[in-house]
Amino acid sequence: MKLNIFFALWLFSTFALFGCETVIDAKHDTGPSQLTVDATITDQPGLQSIRLTQTAAYFDNSPSPAVTGATVSVSDGAGRTFAFTDPDNDGYYVWQTEEGDTLGRIGQTYGLSITYQGNTYRASSTMNRVPPVDSIIFRKQKLNPLSSIEGYQAEFYARDLPGATDYYRIRYFRNGVLQNRARDIITLKDASFSGSANTDGFMFIQPFRQSINPDSLYAHNDSVNVEIRSITPEAYAFWQQFAQQISNGGLFATPPANVPTNVVNTNSGGPAAMGFFTASAVRSRSMRVVGENIRE
Amino acid sequence: MKNKNVLGNSVYGHRLSFDSIGNPLKRNRLRWAFSLFFLLSITPLVRAQTGQNAMSRPANSANNTVSGYVIDAANGEKLIGVTVYVKEKGTGAVTNSYGFYAVPVTAGTYTLVISYVGYEMQTKKVELAAGNRRLDIELREEGKQLQEVVVSTKREDDNVKNIEMSVNRIDVKTLRRIPALLGEIDVVRSIQLLPGVSTVGEGATGFNVRGGSIDQNLVLLDEAPVYNSSHLFGFFSVFNPDAVKDVKLIKGGIPANYGGRIASILDVRLKEGNAKKPELNGGIGLIFSRLSYERPLFSGKGSFIIAGRRSYADVLVQPFLNDDLKGSKFYFYDLTAKANYRINDKNTVFLSGYFGRDVFGADFGFNWGNTIASARWNHVFSDRLFLNTTAYYSNYDYSLDSDLKRKEKQDYFRTNSRIVDYSFKPDFTLFLGKSTITFGGQSILHDFQPGTATAASAGTVSTFGLESKYGLENALYVGNEQQITPKLQLQYGLRYSLFNYIGPGEAYTFGENVSGNRSRLPVAITSYKRGDNIKTYGNWEPRLAAKYELGNNSSLKLSYNRLAQYIHLISNSTASTPLDVWTPSTNNIKPQIGDQVAGGFFKNFGAMNGVGSEFETSVEVYYKWLQNQIDYVDGANLILNKFLEGDLLSGKGRAYGAEFYVKRNRGVLNGWVSYTLAKTERQVAGINGGNWYPTRFDKRHTLTTVLLLDPPTRGDGIASRWNFSGTFTLASGTPGTFPTNRFEYEGIVGPVVNGRNNYRIPPYHRLDLAATLQGRRRPGKRKEDNWVFSVYNVYARKNPFSVFFQSDSDNPRLTQAIRYSVFATVIPSITYNFKF
Repeated sequence: MKLNIFFALWLFSTFALFGCETVIDAKHDTGPSQLTVDATITDQPGLQSIRLTQTAAYFDNSPSPAVTGATVSVSDGAGRTFAFTDPDNDGYYVWQTEEGDTLGRIGQTYGLSITYQGNTYRASSTMNRVPPVDSIIFRKQKLNPLSSIEGYQAEFYARDLPGATDYYRIRYFRNGVLQNRARDIITLKDASFSGSANTDGFMFIQPFRQSINPDSLYAHNDSVNVEIRSITPEAYAFWQQFAQQISNGGLFATPPANVPTNVVNTNSGGPAAMGFFTASAVRSRSMRVVGENIRE
Repeated sequence: MKNKNVLGNSVYGHRLSFDSIGNPLKRNRLRWAFSLFFLLSITPLVRAQTGQNAMSRPANSANNTVSGYVIDAANGEKLIGVTVYVKEKGTGAVTNSYGFYAVPVTAGTYTLVISYVGYEMQTKKVELAAGNRRLDIELREEGKQLQEVVVSTKREDDNVKNIEMSVNRIDVKTLRRIPALLGEIDVVRSIQLLPGVSTVGEGATGFNVRGGSIDQNLVLLDEAPVYNSSHLFGFFSVFNPDAVKDVKLIKGGIPANYGGRIASILDVRLKEGNAKKPELNGGIGLIFSRLSYERPLFSGKGSFIIAGRRSYADVLVQPFLNDDLKGSKFYFYDLTAKANYRINDKNTVFLSGYFGRDVFGADFGFNWGNTIASARWNHVFSDRLFLNTTAYYSNYDYSLDSDLKRKEKQDYFRTNSRIVDYSFKPDFTLFLGKSTITFGGQSILHDFQPGTATAASAGTVSTFGLESKYGLENALYVGNEQQITPKLQLQYGLRYSLFNYIGPGEAYTFGENVSGNRSRLPVAITSYKRGDNIKTYGNWEPRLAAKYELGNNSSLKLSYNRLAQYIHLISNSTASTPLDVWTPSTNNIKPQIGDQVAGGFFKNFGAMNGVGSEFETSVEVYYKWLQNQIDYVDGANLILNKFLEGDLLSGKGRAYGAEFYVKRNRGVLNGWVSYTLAKTERQVAGINGGNWYPTRFDKRHTLTTVLLLDPPTRGDGIASRWNFSGTFTLASGTPGTFPTNRFEYEGIVGPVVNGRNNYRIPPYHRLDLAATLQGRRRPGKRKEDNWVFSVYNVYARKNPFSVFFQSDSDNPRLTQAIRYSVFATVIPSITYNFKF
């Protein structure tokens, strides 16, 4: 569960005071469609993939239209350029690593270049350092204090790297499936959230350590994979605002606003892009909910 | 300015950069400001004392004065706004906020007529030879037949005859009749039924007056400001109705003695406490219970009241809570107390205090509350000059804790924040017959403590705090209310406010905002020592009001006022949260300035019966210009952000509208209907493409109806024990920002937004009903009691608070529009009130 200072406010207004949410039909205009860049490159071996789509009408629940025919490349500060191609014509532009090589290296700054419909878009991102996941433990818990159903609550341990302000994003997988709801967007500044005390070099604080649980908790023998990704301060701001914008309701909603992007059209008068380009170093650990990993 | 040279070698703040922020000042400026303030506030006093004859104009050759207090015969409460009329001279006076009046007259015999709505009119013969005459008057409340009087207009046709415009008063008697949420009568919710007053939605903290945001209202409790007037977010206000005497809301034509906020003044006065006999009041409701006790002190020379409330929703709601919330605490309590002591005819002292807290949370939670104390001294100089001196302390603070139960020794997070004010405020009133001059000033030291956070992880503890910010606010004013001709009355005044943003502290200089609406980064930081002046702002605030009486019980009124505001509530959410912080004007945040012109036509008609007309009507129009309005960059980080100022934007605002009001003062069916047509907009570079956009609380149409039904006395002369009331509200939907498109990122769908507040949520309407059953009075018993049955949201409309857009929680690709209602159901309640 993510520690959010509005969490309690939200609980209060949602449950305690007869509050009510109803799905309604809302009519509104649709704006021109824009290029959306979904690009994260890592220091991991294997396939690197960048997805390009178009924005669509807000209530159009079909998959976002793919952008095909674009020219996509990533270059690093050492003069290497990696061409990304779309062999299946489905908007997924990929670069396949050669044996033993990785695209991303910690400390390098990467530039993304996309040429599409006569416009050239650029973005850059630095691949920052990342700490390892030290361990994952499980505890048998009731789903809530009154429930008779029990599950295993996971807690992972990792320590922020000391000496500088670092930003991380946490992802977790249950039996190989990425948990990817709005509330699974978990980002840290050092070992805590922004606007907190200085936690440089701290163990990740408890709400984050326990943030890797689905509502139903885990079952015996489940496999849990936790991933820490280093991100830039700009990417941290992007994720913070993305998370805010997709869960922005109730008494204390803030005015809806566009999520920031670091993808810039080189022609300042041309159409703007959405999305973000991030270079992340990734460390992960997998554990099974079995015997020695379960604590009392 | 001599001081400047003498003290010129004061300590300068050491500077971390050569960039200059404001003027690296100088203790002496402050001292200078202080001395100026005291000098100016003392000078007229001395002059008034020594040269009183010189000050009374020859035309008004009155050498003697009749003066005194007007009090309620039943309980000794001072009565505000009572008319004391000298029949022979055709002039008079109105009692001030402390119940004091003074009428200058020449020697002779006079008939004074003292009248006040709801009280028996008194006529007193006064013989004046030489010298002044002190005359304290006791008024007796009228009998049952006048209980139907709704909103106290204080004197006959006061709304037409008083120069005040854009002013609404609600007396506690009316307050008790309005159907209330969960049966708990509430000052702030009730004033939202008045023209020009609105709220962003049910449950939102505070109120909006004529397009002003909630921090632009100066909410005063016995002269001391209340920084958060709400309990349980915005569902109840901090004012305990058992302790409240008088509520006055000033929306326009604000006189010179008020300042510091730009939209309105909500002036709440507490009861003094029964000075005749002990009295116990209480009430038991569904949400909370009230108890108050008042009694005379020092054999009638003083009195006190103490009133407390405590909610027990936490206890009652417990069985219905979602399982996750078991063991949650949410409750509030408050304690209001006041005492007064009349030292002699010329000196009275008052002490008032308020302490309240809201506590909410399970493991993770927070609490917040106000602590207010004020001491006042009323002094009567020479029968014509009245002084009230107030010293107050006001504190609002909150704290947040990840582990309220202190279970985890190794892992927790805590933070707290507060704003503290210390103030001294002398206010003089000089009664000259045709003129009533007010003058005085105020000094406030603001201490803003934006927050300290402590975090512990696996046993390692770290503390992070933002330094306090200090502001010194001084003001001097003089105003005159003058009868020019029998028909024309003027009220004019001037206030000068001076604000110093002072050290110790750091001032930041920010770079340009390169990409429109993004946080600006600091490029220079300057440190200041204690007492250093970082930035100074001064504003002249002219005030003007005029009333012209047309025949036929009607009048025309016009007013203009300028107000300046030096402290700001930083809040970016639809409803303000208790965790929002206040900030002073700094080198980056300019003071807010509001100018308002208002005009109105007031007319009363219908049967007269000695206490005013049957019907009161008014039409008012206003236009406001607002400068330096604060808005926020996208994704602004407002909490514990050292460089908060870099996340703020500044723009201008405008608000205009018309308010229509009809009230029936008596009859079986009485009450009022008000309709407001209004528009409130802002223009801020970086928002909505730099174009004007409606504010979040903009409502085009608002119609409110308050109807009170008082069954006529039966044939056998016994008054009905029942009475009934209903309110109906119909208002345009507030604006919302609707997304136009969607984008997909890592399998999650987000909104694409174009503009701000570009759609309207559906309209709001609600009907509330209440019935009161008076308990049987038993001869010889003092006990009075009643039962109040009320139903809120009678037809269970799911009124929208907002419409927001989200992905389905299980399928992030499925987007939905969601209407959020705070009260989506009918809420019945029952309350029992008693009095001994």
